[in-house]
Amino acid sequence: MFRTRNPAMVVRYDDDLRLFRSRPAKAGVVAFGLVWLLVPLNLTDYPLLVLSYAGAAAIGAIGLNLLTGYTGQVSLGHAFFTGAGAYACAYLGAERGLPIGVWLPAAAAIGCLMGAAIAPFALRLRGNYLVIITLGLVLLGEHLFKNWDSVTGGGNGTSTTGALGVLDTNEFSLFGSAYTREQGFFWLIWAVVAVGALLAKNIVRSRPGRAMQAVRDRDLAAEVIGVSQARYKIGAFVVSSGYAAVGGALYAVLQGRLDPTQFGLVLGIQFVAIVIVGGLGTIFGSILGAIVLGSLPRVIEALTRDNDLPFVSGDRGGPEGYLTVASLNKSLYGVIIIAFLIAEPRGLAGLWLRIRTWFKTWPFSY
Amino acid sequence: MQSRPGWLKLAAALVALALVAAACGRDDDDGGTGDATDATDDAAGDAADDAADDAAGDDGEGGAPAEAPGFDGETITLGVITPVTGPVALIGEPLTNGNRVYVDYVNAELGGVAGRYQIELVEVDSEYNPTVAVQQYNAIKDDVTLFAQVLGTPSVNAVLEQLERDNVVASPASLDSFWVREQNLLPIGAPYQIQAINALSWYLTDGGGEGQTICTAIQNDPYGQAGQQGVDFAAGELGFEVATTATFNATDEDYTAQVSQLQGAGCEAVFLVSTPTPTNGMLSEAASREYAPQWIGQSPSWLGLFALSPLAPYLQANFLLVGEGPVWGDTSVPGMAQMLAHVEAYAPEQVPDTYFTFGYAQAWSVVQVLEKAVELGDLSRDGIVAAMNSLDELAFDDLFGAYQWGRPEDRDPPRASTIFSVDPAAPTGLATRITAMESDAARAFDFED
Repeated sequence: MFRTRNPAMVVRYDDDLRLFRSRPAKAGVVAFGLVWLLVPLNLTDYPLLVLSYAGAAAIGAIGLNLLTGYTGQVSLGHAFFTGAGAYACAYLGAERGLPIGVWLPAAAAIGCLMGAAIAPFALRLRGNYLVIITLGLVLLGEHLFKNWDSVTGGGNGTSTTGALGVLDTNEFSLFGSAYTREQGFFWLIWAVVAVGALLAKNIVRSRPGRAMQAVRDRDLAAEVIGVSQARYKIGAFVVSSGYAAVGGALYAVLQGRLDPTQFGLVLGIQFVAIVIVGGLGTIFGSILGAIVLGSLPRVIEALTRDNDLPFVSGDRGGPEGYLTVASLNKSLYGVIIIAFLIAEPRGLAGLWLRIRTWFKTWPFSY
Repeated sequence: MQSRPGWLKLAAALVALALVAAACGRDDDDGGTGDATDATDDAAGDAADDAADDAAGDDGEGGAPAEAPGFDGETITLGVITPVTGPVALIGEPLTNGNRVYVDYVNAELGGVAGRYQIELVEVDSEYNPTVAVQQYNAIKDDVTLFAQVLGTPSVNAVLEQLERDNVVASPASLDSFWVREQNLLPIGAPYQIQAINALSWYLTDGGGEGQTICTAIQNDPYGQAGQQGVDFAAGELGFEVATTATFNATDEDYTAQVSQLQGAGCEAVFLVSTPTPTNGMLSEAASREYAPQWIGQSPSWLGLFALSPLAPYLQANFLLVGEGPVWGDTSVPGMAQMLAHVEAYAPEQVPDTYFTFGYAQAWSVVQVLEKAVELGDLSRDGIVAAMNSLDELAFDDLFGAYQWGRPEDRDPPRASTIFSVDPAAPTGLATRITAMESDAARAFDFED
């Protein structure tokens, strides 16, 4: 009798832990797979490129959400680990000519190691003090990237061209059809996002995930009931830094050239903004946040350029509008972040959960 | 128990998918991609000249160019990637205004390129961020004939490989010397190395600095290294030693360590490779200690506002700037007289600004390339490269030095510099100390690729 029960109905603890709880969830996975396959065939190169950058940011954001959203450790240092991964890609992939099968895992491993080195500080300090430590990490990292000439190219930066071989050309062919560089990158990066999201989901729905959330909610209480703070705080840092490094490595091949100023404080703050706007403590929210914050400026630009808004001057600044496209862009970006924090603190994922609940309880939605 | 909401969601997802699939055809993009690939192939085959011949053969010499990316048969669209938000907007705004004024002049008084084709600029904001610059490049590359401006070394570096892949030409707003041999770049002006060599050659002879202890203070980035390279070359040629090199970051707040280092090494003259914000910090620190070596700044170190600041008396006594061309308002130079007339006509609110002058000259060089391309009858990406390769010289009526042009290996930047001293009464706060100064050492500098 249990066998024919609707999977959406939860009657056992195990049901609560299932990865894809209901038929619609499974169908959703299939739909996402189809979207992933079809989007590059239907969009032009430019939006694909913007989405690929968002994908690279999403991988890092998933990592930060594991650390900040699930384990409660706020960090600005994500930019440093991203940079470490990016330079690992440049050095191993472009300079040494190793294939992606080597440099991507190697970048992840380097990120994990660096995370492990930083993590013990999180045991001694928490809250604002930890934030300051990670801030120091970003500054140290920037100095390292600027001055370790033999690996990072110093202030000149370094090229990552060649790390992907044939994929990193204007056109490559696969099974007899030709595809552009942007199409290839979209498939590659979003495939890694999917794998990363699945791994992260598996972490948070199982024992380590529950332990991380216990540490987040009250670390002392967690320790008392037998959750090792050391183990899970360090573990969260290690995994999170690994994600950041993978995101950084993919950013590196996409960008084609690294500049040491890219991995500074601004990037660290952007990552925090992505997980807050996306939704703390949700994997899906990290991805949504990265897509929205990553592509919003480009969307606003495209809209204001194509439609003549009365108070905005077009491509050329001038007396005809109060604002230029660029200043409107910056202002709207800020307004959206503020609006989200006030109106929907659970972020984009919270918005989505609200919609889902409305449909689930329909026709008794209130 | 049927789960209706679930099916609703699946249906919604499928409808969304269908919309995505139907809404945007991939076909409209294939043309652009094909062009780009062909262009790359041609360039790889070193067939740029052949392409020009072909084009000339097809259309007849001087015939109307065919439609191409950024050219619809009537209007030529040019891209501008420049920071208009963030701290570097201070440079981006006047520089782009220089682009605009020259384009306005060509459109209004000359009837456009070759008297026929109006020019339109599409400007996008790079935020001085290489990631954004790459995205912006891709946003507009299929709509422009070439890029009339890409500002800043990091942004140029970031788009350079894509420029080569797409065979698109861009004019860098940055004086790095490694642009000289790039097929797809259209630089103007004497590179930073030449400025540094000329400045020190002059200072150690006619400038009265003979036998002094020379030091450098450089920004920790490619720009700083370019200046240092020039100083090191001059040291070899002129037989002096650099006593110490202080480095700093463009975003530093405190310059105590650097000034102490210079003072401790007994520096009597310091060559400063900097941008306006660090210049202000470093010189304020030195002034407050009453440490007064002879500062010689690389051209981007200066901001006209300095001459009006409390630091002005210190600067007047201890600061020289090396740059290029005449000082703003010197109407004895034909290029400057022309520019001032156009400022009057098209941007009367523009305050005197050296970055404006650069932008004006930059658009001037772009129009020279476009004229040549129209003459050869081909405004395609290959046609632009072919036109660049067949030009002999880019000239600016002495507003900037003439640049010997041609194939990348034949290109040779101007070698003359101008030394300015600070004069609060002058329009940009600068007065000419010596002009068209071309040292033997600068002539000996080799731009290897």
